Amino acid sequence: MKPRIAFFDFACCEGCQLQVANLGEALLDVLKLVDVVEFREVMSEKWAGPLDIAVVEGSITTKEAVERIEKIRARSRILIAYGSCATIGGVNGMKNRSPLEEIRRTVYGEHAHTFPTIATRPVDQVVKVDYYVHGCPIWPPEFIEVLQAALQGVPCFPPDHAVCVECKLNENVCLYDKGVTCLGPVTRAGCNSWCTNNGNICYGCRGLVSNPNTKGAMDVLARYRIPLELVLNKMSMYNACREQGKTP
Amino acid sequence: MRYVTIPADKMADYITALARRQKVVAPVEKGKGQFAFEPISEGREATLTYIPTILPPKKFFMPQYETLLEYDLHEGQKMQAVVELEEMVLFGVHTCDLAGIACLNTVFSDRPKDLNYLIRKNKIVIIGLECVAYCDEYASCALMNNHLPNGGYDLFLTPLGDRYIGHVNTYIGDSLVEEGGFFRDATGADFAALEEVRRRKREVFHDEVPIDLDEIPRIFAHSLRTTIWKEIGDRCLSCGNCTNVCPTCYCFDIVDKPNLDLKSGRRIRVWDSCQNERFAKIAGGESFRKERSSRKRHRFFRKFRYPVDRFGKFFCTGCGRCSRTCMARINLKETLAQLAREYV
Repeated sequence: MKPRIAFFDFACCEGCQLQVANLGEALLDVLKLVDVVEFREVMSEKWAGPLDIAVVEGSITTKEAVERIEKIRARSRILIAYGSCATIGGVNGMKNRSPLEEIRRTVYGEHAHTFPTIATRPVDQVVKVDYYVHGCPIWPPEFIEVLQAALQGVPCFPPDHAVCVECKLNENVCLYDKGVTCLGPVTRAGCNSWCTNNGNICYGCRGLVSNPNTKGAMDVLARYRIPLELVLNKMSMYNACREQGKTP
Repeated sequence: MRYVTIPADKMADYITALARRQKVVAPVEKGKGQFAFEPISEGREATLTYIPTILPPKKFFMPQYETLLEYDLHEGQKMQAVVELEEMVLFGVHTCDLAGIACLNTVFSDRPKDLNYLIRKNKIVIIGLECVAYCDEYASCALMNNHLPNGGYDLFLTPLGDRYIGHVNTYIGDSLVEEGGFFRDATGADFAALEEVRRRKREVFHDEVPIDLDEIPRIFAHSLRTTIWKEIGDRCLSCGNCTNVCPTCYCFDIVDKPNLDLKSGRRIRVWDSCQNERFAKIAGGESFRKERSSRKRHRFFRKFRYPVDRFGKFFCTGCGRCSRTCMARINLKETLAQLAREYV
């Protein structure tokens, strides 16, 4: 029997599900390996039984979500968090930068009391996570790599070096030389420098490397005359949950 | 020994003629004053006045990602060694990069020989190109004695204003200059012009760092515990740019990439870097070089001390790429000068 796999979503845009649905030809090969029993974006069937692999998208932002993810964890042998929202809190983490009551009133106005929420947390700040696929959205080849590792029962660690490494292997002209601020030097690699290959900057969606040189990075910014404020702002777009707890 | 010349205004046509017959890789402008070796089909795509490319030509000798073997576990454990090779002409290689290739040749010919590298290398034809002026302030090629050609090419071109003079160094070089009748044999006037270029070059290329090459081993013998490593370590972001762009850094990791059947796959070699967080990390989470300062020191020692002990040569070519690419402005020439000041 093929391993049973289900895809779940919490607070997110469901774009990572779309990435999986968009795998194209590789999706056919993936389906030969696993039995997909629940995947809201592509099928109507639901599954309440035990799971070999739960693939979880989105961050945890309500009490109901806490209960739901705990139940999913309890019936899953392996849990893969995928997408920035699930792995590091992602853009949902921006909520944590203001007092909860205040941010709720800003978003829901006079109906705020009908939307009780809690501070945003990535999945691993609530339940144990076995594998991570970082990124906003996930980089499809990495998702496949992690899924393969999970199916083979071997560990899979995302790189812990800067996006610069992959960007340089792709021989891109450094964005700092183009006078553009880029979070590549402090963001963990693993996306094959997807954004910078295509002329965009790195937004830090995969989270920071485990040991960023904060002081050194500030010196570099000063040298390129980039205001610290601007960079901190860019950094907290995806990484605001980081202060709350250590992420992998 | 054979010398030939080609008119400067015929060079683009010559490159085009070469590219009609085989894959030609040459420096191409990438914007912001930066260049990269890329495949071209027309001579006019190549830029013959360029500063060292973002990545050195090592990317053709040991590609960033290279398959070493294919495996299949469907029946037993089948493995097949693979050499991914590609015939090509590498056009316009500066003397610093010729020196870099020579270093890689030394390393990969050392036992156990690296057959993947050696087989690939044999398929790459090299046409060198002399610099008549400094590329920029980061270069220290004269200190490292790499500002003049020192072999390692099939054909070597030196610009003489309205023409190039070419040194034919191999049989392959001989056939290269036969292509399309662009070349004629050099005469006395051409040799005199070449001499004049070299004489002027010796006047310009010198004293990039206020030390002598012979002093470097002594300087490094005394620099294990200097505080200079901590100073540059504090600035370093560990982005790995310095090692990735280095023409002589050859460290790699080997990983298995399974296919989607989970039974077959490829084993690939990927560039690695001593500057990366996990490079010296071992089981249990210990790291031999946890501090950035020790990683920086390691990089310098891998250029100026360890290869001297082992191979009798420096592994810095003076190309200046590491300093040029460093966001934290860690400058090799400055560091060498600092180390020398401290020792003296």
